[in-house]
Amino acid sequence: MSDFHNRSQTSARRSDYVWQYEYYDEEEPVSFEGLKAHRYSIVIGFWVGLAVFVIFMFFVLTLLTKTGAPHQENPDLAEKRHRPGSCLVDIGSPQDENDKAFSRPLLTESRSYFHFNINEEDQSKNQKQKPERKRAGKPSGARAQQGTRGISSSGMDEMEDDVEEDGEHQPLKGLIEESKTDRECAFFSHFNIPNFVHLEHSSTLGEEDLLFEPSVILERQSHSQDAHCDSH
Amino acid sequence: MNTTTTNQSDCPEVKVPVPLFFTIGVVSLAENLLVVVAVIRNRNLHSPMYCFICSLAAFNTIASLTKTWENLMIMFANVGHLEKKGPSETNLDDVMDSLLCMSFVGSIFSFLAIAADRYITIFHALRYHNIMTMRRTKAILGVIWTTCGVSAVIMVRFFASKFIMICFVVFFVVSLAIICFLYAYMFMLARIHARNIVALPAAGGGGKCRRQRQWGSGMRGALTLTILFGVFVVCWAPFFLHLIIIMVCPANPYCECYRSLFQLHVVLLMSHAFIDPAIYAFRSAELRHTFRKMLLCSDWRRCS
Repeated sequence: MSDFHNRSQTSARRSDYVWQYEYYDEEEPVSFEGLKAHRYSIVIGFWVGLAVFVIFMFFVLTLLTKTGAPHQENPDLAEKRHRPGSCLVDIGSPQDENDKAFSRPLLTESRSYFHFNINEEDQSKNQKQKPERKRAGKPSGARAQQGTRGISSSGMDEMEDDVEEDGEHQPLKGLIEESKTDRECAFFSHFNIPNFVHLEHSSTLGEEDLLFEPSVILERQSHSQDAHCDSH
Repeated sequence: MNTTTTNQSDCPEVKVPVPLFFTIGVVSLAENLLVVVAVIRNRNLHSPMYCFICSLAAFNTIASLTKTWENLMIMFANVGHLEKKGPSETNLDDVMDSLLCMSFVGSIFSFLAIAADRYITIFHALRYHNIMTMRRTKAILGVIWTTCGVSAVIMVRFFASKFIMICFVVFFVVSLAIICFLYAYMFMLARIHARNIVALPAAGGGGKCRRQRQWGSGMRGALTLTILFGVFVVCWAPFFLHLIIIMVCPANPYCECYRSLFQLHVVLLMSHAFIDPAIYAFRSAELRHTFRKMLLCSDWRRCS
């Protein structure tokens, strides 16, 4: 009985029991003489560092959302490097209105599988008459806006729908719809626009060289869109 | 930390009341068990994404169960019903430590699997069903569970060796880096996508309004990611720093003051098992619907 009491005294704490039980039996007691800083300085430093890290991460993420407002579209060209495989990224970027006219129909088609056949003619027409399609882009732009908010019935399966329904996964929701454009890309390749040549490489190579040559960018974009569709 | 009363250290161990341990343990056990049962029962949820979420919930269930059981045993030992250094108790302690290690490693692997699955969903959407078949998912889960079981046994058997602890810490840091990278990449691409959509001239002059809406959705995305990642880091890092400190500075008084907060760090770990379903599982409408059916309907067949 006395043995038991001694043992229960020497192994008093739960932490000793779980992790440090054998460890602390062997060590000398630590002396607290002559401490220069506060005793809990490691604790305080660690938690302050952790809080700073989390807040810093949050600010970096919000900065990413703030940079690149709609009228500033030059940064998008640099960001194309990040994502080679998306039709949207390749098409939607520069400030040039010609580009907007060029990119709009493809963006609308990305919204819904059903609109694909209807818009395919639009697409070929628009690609051939780039400067004039600004007006035609508006209704399709409105359609795009509706599409982004709705959940497409022709979506992949419930997996995608579940991800879309996650209330606050806005970036993921956007990317799911981007993935639908990838699906559309596969079908674009069947409808080859006769004027455009397929490029082997993605448009992300050497893009910064083309930064100041809008006409070349236009051409490369159209090439790269087909190239990326093919690469999928 | 001293065990005798004559040499009291200046950093006495901070004790967490046992009822708090029990509450967190029982509630997280109930939540995670609910998630596991819901995923198993509902056929719609038999997809790779939900399998990984279910696996995460299963690991959290094991962790909560083990911790609650350990609390019970410690309570009994303190009261006097159990002998702390008896052979059966130390064996039982080893088993519990193995299970805990297994669930820790398993949770981290499940987070990695969920992040990778989301990444493939978004960037390889066309080929998702070819890349992530159910058979592959089951194989991945089998590998994860086997690895966790084996590594848990090894870790507890050879816990005295510093190498094992170093491996554990390195594994945690590497997983953290991978998860951070995957989510940040997905987020960045989502922003580019959203910006491209906004670049369309919408009907009407809602330019500023659109910008604000974009900013609002971006803020929400940033907040979601910060919560996802921040909770993971805040709950796991203190414990791992504890492991590092045990290895690096056992005799330093500053380090000892950090070590005195061990129970708080364990509470943080358990609360991560408690928060996880809210972050991962309950975000899905289908899963919430299944819960409601399970909890409110007495007869499953009648309600479905």
